[in-house]
Amino acid sequence: MRLPDFQYVEPKSIQEACLFLKDHSQESKIMGGGTDLLPSMKERILKPKYVVYLGAIPNLDRIEFDEHLGLRIGALVKLRSLERSRVVLERYPLIAQTASEVGSVQLRQMGTVGGNLSLDTRCYYYNQSDFWRKCRPTCIKMGGEKCNAISGGKKCFAVFSGDLAPALIALGSKITLVSSKGERRLPLSDFYTGDGAKPLAIKPDEILIGVDVPMVPKDAFSVYFKYRIRRSVDFPLASVATMLIFGREKKVCHEAKVVIGAVNTRPEELKEIDGLLRGKEFTSSLIEEASSLAFKMAKPVANAASSPSYRKKIIKIFIEKALRQAVRESV
Amino acid sequence: MVTLQINGDTYELAIEPRKTLLEVLREDIGLTGTKEVCDLGTCGACTVLLDAKPILSCLTLAIACKGKEITTIEGLRRGEKLHPLQASFVQKGAIQCGMCTPGMILSAKALLDENPHPTEIEVRKAIAGNLCRCTGYVKIVEAILAASIGE
Repeated sequence: MRLPDFQYVEPKSIQEACLFLKDHSQESKIMGGGTDLLPSMKERILKPKYVVYLGAIPNLDRIEFDEHLGLRIGALVKLRSLERSRVVLERYPLIAQTASEVGSVQLRQMGTVGGNLSLDTRCYYYNQSDFWRKCRPTCIKMGGEKCNAISGGKKCFAVFSGDLAPALIALGSKITLVSSKGERRLPLSDFYTGDGAKPLAIKPDEILIGVDVPMVPKDAFSVYFKYRIRRSVDFPLASVATMLIFGREKKVCHEAKVVIGAVNTRPEELKEIDGLLRGKEFTSSLIEEASSLAFKMAKPVANAASSPSYRKKIIKIFIEKALRQAVRESV
Repeated sequence: MVTLQINGDTYELAIEPRKTLLEVLREDIGLTGTKEVCDLGTCGACTVLLDAKPILSCLTLAIACKGKEITTIEGLRRGEKLHPLQASFVQKGAIQCGMCTPGMILSAKALLDENPHPTEIEVRKAIAGNLCRCTGYVKIVEAILAASIGE
């Protein structure tokens, strides 16, 4: 499959990139590793006039750690570098583990942190060839009025399938966006709109340049579980990131964060579960209560390679597994 | 004009920005050892090494590879002799149709260059992004492990 024609732009600095986007934002797409953008262009889902490649901008591929400020990950850090970074492995095992679960070695060698966080939402009726899509009415995400996944659906249900976002949200991360007008920081959880057709709260002229992850206590428990058809390459079909901080006596949970991914149009923080777990000892009945609540809260629709009922059940199982593992490891 | 470093040779090419590295290797340079299979980043057949790291040439713009060292399967041979990994694949019968072989060998080379004596699990993880539909991986893993101990 050939790529459609486009003009290639390779800014050498962030300022240069912002200046270009100031005038051409509507017709441009930003490229980091290209592993999400180029397949969509090959399938003619996206036809940007300009592809703005950030790879020539220096210093965006750094991982920096400070004992007080925490971790700063540049947007162009490769997922492969993240999973192998010593400081990330030691201080943020959840991030290293999650990064290692994305795609294949090659895709992680190409794909960037910024790209993984800015992934386009996916749907069985959207990520198809031009020919395939033309056999059905134009869907909402392609600019039409009909949802092919849910009959009578008035909004787009395409799924956010990034792996890193649930984990980084569980850790309370913030992102930095820049444009020619200046810089702004926002919690990563606010980066996702919940609208499958327009999933990111980024303005067309803005560039995501980095993520800040606050300090996490050394004895915090964290884990990421990912369900997919082929363990070697696939996007998640349901995932759970969990971060728990226990008190000194190792029994009572002081802080809980449970985020599910690849179920909704955005990574979903299950705040009711966080509240349920906080200040409690993890008994079997509490674990059952929390995982059953997650089962109720997860509402996948029939737009992926696995049925909604199975994905819902998997969410419950993952949460149960995470909490049981936390009990085992924290005692 | 774009200058590319491929297997130690320098190529000056007038190419469209939309051309992938895979298309340039196969069509403009004539290095057809790198295979096109899914062309969407799933199968790993088009794997080449970019600065010694395995990447998918079907999802890489050739124009973005300026100043980087590209290694394809053609670059492994030492004179008339096959690279030990290539020889091992032949020896162990780790090839059937051959479409996955170049990518498989380059993923294995990247692994062995970093970790000369990997465990079987490490080998399996390193080639997890290279799909084979014929031999079923057992012989491929055997071939890589044999090459790693110089058999």
